[in-house]
Amino acid sequence: MSRHVKYVFITILLTVIQTQLMRLLTLEGITPDILTIWIVYIALREGQLPATVWGFGIGLFFDLVTGNFVGLSALTKTICGFIAGYFYNENKTSLTLGSYRFIVIVLIVSLIHNTVYFIIFTQGSNIGLVRAVLQLGFATTCYTATLTLLPMFAFARKYIS
Amino acid sequence: MLGASLSWLEMLRFITIVLVFKEYVVLALLVILSLLILGANDNTQIRAIRSYTVGAVGILQSALSVIPNVVQLKRENEVLHQLTVNLSDEVNRLREARLENLRLRAMLGLKEHATFTLAAAEVVGKSLHLLRNTITVNVGENDGVKPDMPIISESGLVGKIIVTSRQYSIGQLMLNKDFRASAKIQRSRVDGIIAWDGGDYLRLQNVSKTQDVKEGDVVTTSEYSGTFPRDIKIGFVSKTSEKPGNLFLDIDVIPSVDFPSLEQVFIITAVKDTERVAIEKKFIRTK
Repeated sequence: MSRHVKYVFITILLTVIQTQLMRLLTLEGITPDILTIWIVYIALREGQLPATVWGFGIGLFFDLVTGNFVGLSALTKTICGFIAGYFYNENKTSLTLGSYRFIVIVLIVSLIHNTVYFIIFTQGSNIGLVRAVLQLGFATTCYTATLTLLPMFAFARKYIS
Repeated sequence: MLGASLSWLEMLRFITIVLVFKEYVVLALLVILSLLILGANDNTQIRAIRSYTVGAVGILQSALSVIPNVVQLKRENEVLHQLTVNLSDEVNRLREARLENLRLRAMLGLKEHATFTLAAAEVVGKSLHLLRNTITVNVGENDGVKPDMPIISESGLVGKIIVTSRQYSIGQLMLNKDFRASAKIQRSRVDGIIAWDGGDYLRLQNVSKTQDVKEGDVVTTSEYSGTFPRDIKIGFVSKTSEKPGNLFLDIDVIPSVDFPSLEQVFIITAVKDTERVAIEKKFIRTK
């Protein structure tokens, strides 16, 4: 099975998890974003250009599934894929995925993603810019980065073994 | 051939640039596509963003408006120039209308206070540089105008009708060598005959040196005239002088009517007192 077909199935599965199950992990209205982790993974495995395209595709699919503000996730996840692509190194993919670098990359990418996302998402509401970036954006980033520990440990175990 | 080669070269160069920066090109395309999809939404966020965008564009335009746009300035200058010409033309027309309004008001006042019947007329022809000056007016026999009827304006006596047709009449002005009218000094009731000898002023003739005439005295028509009603203003005395060996005063009279600017007049359509004229003629014949 082609790698990209596998990515499609995983994307569908993760989208279902993000929309249906991640609400169980919601803390004070903050939900981790596993699709961002997934896009960072694709970027580290495939490079910048595929990650950008996958980012757009995953974001648009997520928007269409949720039906909430169509185009916003497509925009932010395109940027997400593009930025994560800067950390692509063909020879160190396994090393990066199985180390703290993976978390740092997710942290950076997620921070940019969430900042853009919440700035746009909170427009026209009574939530100010500072609260949008610091409270919602930064908290979601930290939560997502924390959740990245699970795949990081999995990759570390897989590649070390 | 050379042009085609150049265009192929340019195309190749473009493709090379796209391939070198393909990540950025793809990013730009996908961001634009995302923004287009975002713009298709109609929710609070997009409305707020549209509002900010309009505000930002307004601020940008306001900031850029400081930089003079030569083409726009030229066009604006042309428009303003055209506007100035149009407004200037309109001001002239309004000024003309105001003057006409003032004249007509004065004439209306005269008509309301006059004790005789008046026919309003417009001056359609005029000669002022001859010894026998006349005006042509646009009323005639159809309007009841006949020869010898006096012509007046709001300023005073103008002359009298000498020739009529059905729709037009010719008036003899006071500035005509053949014109004569009985006149008097309003203040001292001294009588004389008003005439014109081709000079700058009218002359009040047949006033003896002993009569009381002063500069500034108003001259009007007298009751002795068979043609003109009494007390119509003729002008005022500008100078009196005496010549040795002459029994009469030389009296210059400035006409109250400004003949060069004369545009509207009235014809007094009252008929002469024929009985009086007849007895006067009979008396003259029997003498």
